[in-house]
Amino acid sequence: RIMPVRWSRYSPSYLEPEVKKESYQKPLEELTEEEREQMELKAVRPIKAAPPTLSSSVFSDPMISKFTNMMMKSGNKVLARSLMSQTLEAIKRKQLEKYHKAPENEKETIECNPYVIFHQALKNCQPIIGLSNITKGGKTYQVPVPLTDNRKRFLAMKWMITECRENKHRRTMMPEKLSQELLLAFNNEGPVIKRKHVLHKMAEANRAYAHFRWW
Amino acid sequence: QLEHGRALHTAARDGLSSVSAQDVPAERPRAVFHTSESDPAKHTEQHEGRLYDIPLEEVKAVFPHGLPYRFQQQIQTFNEARVMVRRPALELLAYLKGSNLAHPAVRYVIYGERGTGKTMTLCHVVHYCSRQGWLVLHVPDAHLWVKNCKELLQSSYNKDRLDQPLQASAWLRNFKTSNERFLQEIKTQKKYMWGKRESTEEGRPLGEVVEQGLARVRSASDAVGVVLRELRQQSHRGSFRLLVAVDGVNALWGRTTLRKEDKSPVSPEELTLVHNLRKVVRNDWSGGAIVTTLSQTGSLFKPSSAYTPHELLGKEGFDALDPFVPIPVTNYSPKEFESCYGYYLERKWLQHEKAHTEDGKAELQFLSGSNPRQLDRLAGPL
Repeated sequence: RIMPVRWSRYSPSYLEPEVKKESYQKPLEELTEEEREQMELKAVRPIKAAPPTLSSSVFSDPMISKFTNMMMKSGNKVLARSLMSQTLEAIKRKQLEKYHKAPENEKETIECNPYVIFHQALKNCQPIIGLSNITKGGKTYQVPVPLTDNRKRFLAMKWMITECRENKHRRTMMPEKLSQELLLAFNNEGPVIKRKHVLHKMAEANRAYAHFRWW
Repeated sequence: QLEHGRALHTAARDGLSSVSAQDVPAERPRAVFHTSESDPAKHTEQHEGRLYDIPLEEVKAVFPHGLPYRFQQQIQTFNEARVMVRRPALELLAYLKGSNLAHPAVRYVIYGERGTGKTMTLCHVVHYCSRQGWLVLHVPDAHLWVKNCKELLQSSYNKDRLDQPLQASAWLRNFKTSNERFLQEIKTQKKYMWGKRESTEEGRPLGEVVEQGLARVRSASDAVGVVLRELRQQSHRGSFRLLVAVDGVNALWGRTTLRKEDKSPVSPEELTLVHNLRKVVRNDWSGGAIVTTLSQTGSLFKPSSAYTPHELLGKEGFDALDPFVPIPVTNYSPKEFESCYGYYLERKWLQHEKAHTEDGKAELQFLSGSNPRQLDRLAGPL
């Protein structure tokens, strides 16, 4: 499906900002030809302003920032970020408590790193194939369609957030709900994984209409 | 490996003058920032920056209330209570060890910016005193008594004052858990009437007054007042030593957010609990010490940049507390930061791969500004 190209206010001569510390600490001799050309270009060309989401911190993670942005409501990034950090802390606490209570041989199997759990859980929630509405002969069919990586990631995050917002008790706090859901998804259980399986089954059921797709 | 080796050398240089053999980290070179000395009486400058362990049964007995919430969560996650020995606490302990109990009680005010460790210093001192066998009167947060009160009763003892049954009974319950044995030994010196029919005779153990306060919640605040009065009057005899530990003492002289039924604001003097606590904090009794902490975080109507005694206590409070020993608490020194960072690493609290690197450590130090609370909050999600 061809997406409309977005235009940017910057003219094409503007270059992207370089944030990583390592690239500035390399001495001159180690650079290859392309990198030397890049450096000379940077001396003459203007550079775009760095977006607020771009961070030079060693702890920054693009997937976590995307998830925080999706959790944000009416621009309240402070609240969204604090909820995210409370969620990661809650996951870590639960896993550490389990770790300290487990017998010696099981200790290696318990994963305590909240980032690893987060990434693995979202990976487990990503659907492989999606459905799209195609109108042919007056009727709309649900046609199985391949998904791009971005779309898969978006769907996984969206399902996770809607699940936590809607299907839980009103008084539970978001970090508590989210940490529980992420841990379930990490073990391939829970309602989000079920939703993914339902989508796969629908796509399998509508396999006959697959030839309706023209892209 | 390298940095552990370097830390070992510095500790060895510091520890060469030490005599105690327990401290030499022979078995576990990684535990340089720990110390096996769990008795605060024996803490000296060599132990500065190290973390000592409080056994969990003692934590439940000595601190039924009073530990910060995040510290309680940490105790539950790590299954141990480790407190860092820092210079302000060592200073206070030295003063307490050298204090003359025949003289009137000396007042110590622990002050500092937000999140630098004032409450933890107070808890360290309370632990020391309870180990030494003192009677500890620990008010966990005086701000809880001047805000968010659901029930305010008119006091039966004095028509102008207001009672707070819930807060008073909660405090009495915790006081009972921490000081069981003293309640049987200390006897009342006067007959107290609770309402028309109930009374406590002279010479009964103080435990009865506490039971009375817990059973009849309406008279709990008066029970608290009686307890404070008896302890104040009997401490000069020398049978026990009294430590009054108040966290957030600036609440006693500020304003309250409480209102009476006709919507007029309540000033702190009109609350029985605050009135009685103010009487204890005066230095007209002997045989103990008063250790207090200023706190901006729970305070009412004070700007967030205020941390000095004069700003937080106001003129009235400062005059009331006037001859006091100020004890400033600052952010972590580099050594203390290293030891806290090492402890988090050892307990697997810092799980992020980059947190183990030098870059990560430098970033944590920069972002937190060596402030203990900020470091704790930053290390949470990492």
